[in-house]
Amino acid sequence: MNNLRLVVFFLVLSILFSCASNQNNEYITSDSISVSEFSSSVELLVSNTNFLEDEILKINAKNPSVQRILVNSDVYLREGKLIQANSELERALRITKKEGAIYLRLAHLRHIQGLLAESKSFASRALLIKDISSWERLLLNVYLKRPI
Amino acid sequence: MKIKLTLGSLGIIALIIVFVISASVVAIIDSRVTNKLDGVLWTIPAKVYSRSLDLAEGSKVNKSNLMKELGMLSYSENRSPSKPGEFTYSKDNLRIFLRGYEDQKSGLFEVSFKDGTVTKITNQLGISVDIVRFEPIAIGGMYPSHMEDRILLSWSQVPSILIDTILSVEDQNFFNHKGISFRSISRAFFTNVKAGDIEQGGSTITQQLAKNLFFTSEQTIKRKVMEAIAALLIEFHYSKEEILLAYINDVFLAQSGKRAVHGFGMGAQHFFGTSVTNLETDQIALLVGMLKGPSLYNPRRNPNNATKRRNLVLGILQKGRHINSSSLEEYKSRPLKVVSPSFRSETKYPAFHDLVRLELRENYQDPELRTQGLKIQTNLDPVLQESLENSIKKTKAQLIKKYGKELTELEGAALAVDIASGEIKAVVGSSDPSKFGFNRSINAIRPIGSLVKPFIYLTALNKYDEYNLTTILDDSKLSIKSGGEVWEPNNFDKKFHGKIPLHVALWQSYNIASARLGIELGYDSVQETFNKLGIRKSIERYPSLFIGSFEMSPFDAIQSYQTIAADGFYSPLRSIRDIKDLNGNIDLSYPYKIEQRLRPEPVHLLKFAMKQTFISGTARGYPKKNIESWQAGGKTGTSDDQRDSWFVGFAGELLVLVWLGFDDNRPTPLTGRSGALEVWKNFINDVQPSSVEKNSFPRVKYIWTDKKDGLVSGQKCKNSVLVPFIIGTEPNTIPSVRNKCASKPKRSKSDVMQKLKKVFEEGQG
Repeated sequence: MNNLRLVVFFLVLSILFSCASNQNNEYITSDSISVSEFSSSVELLVSNTNFLEDEILKINAKNPSVQRILVNSDVYLREGKLIQANSELERALRITKKEGAIYLRLAHLRHIQGLLAESKSFASRALLIKDISSWERLLLNVYLKRPI
Repeated sequence: MKIKLTLGSLGIIALIIVFVISASVVAIIDSRVTNKLDGVLWTIPAKVYSRSLDLAEGSKVNKSNLMKELGMLSYSENRSPSKPGEFTYSKDNLRIFLRGYEDQKSGLFEVSFKDGTVTKITNQLGISVDIVRFEPIAIGGMYPSHMEDRILLSWSQVPSILIDTILSVEDQNFFNHKGISFRSISRAFFTNVKAGDIEQGGSTITQQLAKNLFFTSEQTIKRKVMEAIAALLIEFHYSKEEILLAYINDVFLAQSGKRAVHGFGMGAQHFFGTSVTNLETDQIALLVGMLKGPSLYNPRRNPNNATKRRNLVLGILQKGRHINSSSLEEYKSRPLKVVSPSFRSETKYPAFHDLVRLELRENYQDPELRTQGLKIQTNLDPVLQESLENSIKKTKAQLIKKYGKELTELEGAALAVDIASGEIKAVVGSSDPSKFGFNRSINAIRPIGSLVKPFIYLTALNKYDEYNLTTILDDSKLSIKSGGEVWEPNNFDKKFHGKIPLHVALWQSYNIASARLGIELGYDSVQETFNKLGIRKSIERYPSLFIGSFEMSPFDAIQSYQTIAADGFYSPLRSIRDIKDLNGNIDLSYPYKIEQRLRPEPVHLLKFAMKQTFISGTARGYPKKNIESWQAGGKTGTSDDQRDSWFVGFAGELLVLVWLGFDDNRPTPLTGRSGALEVWKNFINDVQPSSVEKNSFPRVKYIWTDKKDGLVSGQKCKNSVLVPFIIGTEPNTIPSVRNKCASKPKRSKSDVMQKLKKVFEEGQG
């Protein structure tokens, strides 16, 4: 009976914490989530780049100045001007390195540019930032789970 | 058949010869005119700039560094800034009239600071602004052999007052003559006689352009004739606007070291630090006045002459009703206010320029760089660069004072980079940093001494199932047969330290424990770590490798430490940000690249040991408050016989590496601590890096352990230190002697999860 309680408790906790499960020698940082088993909306994020992009661009920076730069970058991204979008993101990063919103966009931009390993590295780097939201964390994990 | 040569036929032949020669001369001059005006004049050397400074809400700013940068940008203090290039700073408030750069418009802005952070930016209407951008500093160029430097202006960029001033002073009849004007010559003659001074020249602007472009300044009839022919040909081929624009872009204004400053665009930048569109009438009058004698009326060398000449030109403008009498008096009363030249030769910072050249070489040919007017924006931070140069010079002087003149020939190199992005902020390649020549930052390949040890310890910590920071290492006598000889390493203090925890061995930089650890790990494992850190060179399989016989350049060494300082994320170092063409479009960018080479947790553990270097190790002496707020860490290095003194350390967002030694490799009296670390300290104390937040490592927990046995201890126990462990690898044995003071490690959330997972897996099994 005690064991059964423990199993139920573990199941609840495992959903809450969504602990990392990938151990196949890839460099995954501490908080990677088993996205493929998470939910259908997550599957959609993984499979549909446009849907993912929409979600990424909804993430705002906490710093209003950085947010304005991100808006410029988003416009360039939508226009397909990837070099300019990147310049804006780097400009934002020089103001602060604590915003998950910047790294998310960098991960996404590199993904679009076909630089998948770099995309993963940006996502992985962002997971070291303190105080990023669970939703940002989940979106970052999408880039970690995408095949190279 | 005989041809009878009569006087008449000889005359015809002579006429034909004269005609052919004249026609040939005209044809040659014509070809030179069109070639030069269509081609060479419009070839512009690539210009190299520092990074431009952005200030935004949340930007961390050191006031002293900001003031230094404003000084370098030639901004001047004025209690109520009203013109571009003026500012005032009081009570954490900067009011500044920006000159404007790219998308940043010129105007008055107010920037408020609190505790070194920008809190608010408003424009002159009091409306909140998110970001302001300062113009970058010109630091060099890629010049053709004649070293002509110019900023090319288009017709729309030329202010009308500049045109009025040039025409009033140099050629009032410009739009009416055909290249030569007898009226101008006679009018100039009478004007000058009346004024008792040379107010006007007799040559038209077209003649002056012809002279500047094709001829020397020798006063001979032959030259005057050639010049007149060229002037007529120029008028024949080009419109008046094209001729005037060519003149505006070509006139010689000053010699600055090896550089020849040509054109009003470059003149405005060289003398006033701004673009020609920002110049006021008195400044334009000064530049136009200088045309008569660039050296005689140079405002830096001959300010009195320059002032008189400027006022004369202003008088001409007033006579021509381009300005009124009250403006004339106001302009005349103004001081010249010229700025210091930003650089006098090919570059202000030779070592950094070398790096830029190396990066450019991969994408551009030399002629492209010398002719296409490319604008190279680099990552150089001018304040950090100046500080790094001063720190090397200052430290060398201090060391000479302490150790004597034997250090007169001491050389050095240093680099400062942004940890996360790999942007190179400052580089020094010599103890005399402005000197051109051997750049030690990239070309001095020297044994790195103990700088190699973190690579060995990282190899161990990466095998986190086998090693952690309190794994006990053996620092007793070691004898190894190597290459037919017995190799017996020694510690710097000539002592053996027995059994010691791994982290202590690193921050105390013990050679024997490190050598034993390297041998235990094996050459292949160590080589793998080297590769991950970006070191391409193969290691030589001698045990002395593990204590510092490995050779690297300062540039390669700091690259490998970048990966460590960035928690395992490798970013190639880059000096260039982007390259724009003449129209301001990005021609090539050098984006931020990142590659995760190592798991962050083992690197975090290594960085803890490197932080101890500052707290209790070979770089001790810094206040703990600074070490914590900068998340600082470092490593000293000294090669055999103290031939090389190294220090590498991270503080805030900066990673800085310093090397000192002699070019001929003779021993120095310096260790890493007494030499290179002093440069590092002088630099860091001067620039005062901003604090950084700690990263998040949920899989790491901190436990009090004993500095000697590495077992669990407590805050209240003697010799205890809080050490990080990857969860699941931490010690849990409390020795009986510390039963009273030791505290049993608390279980973290992740511990509980691990345990539950285990139970669940067992249950399933």
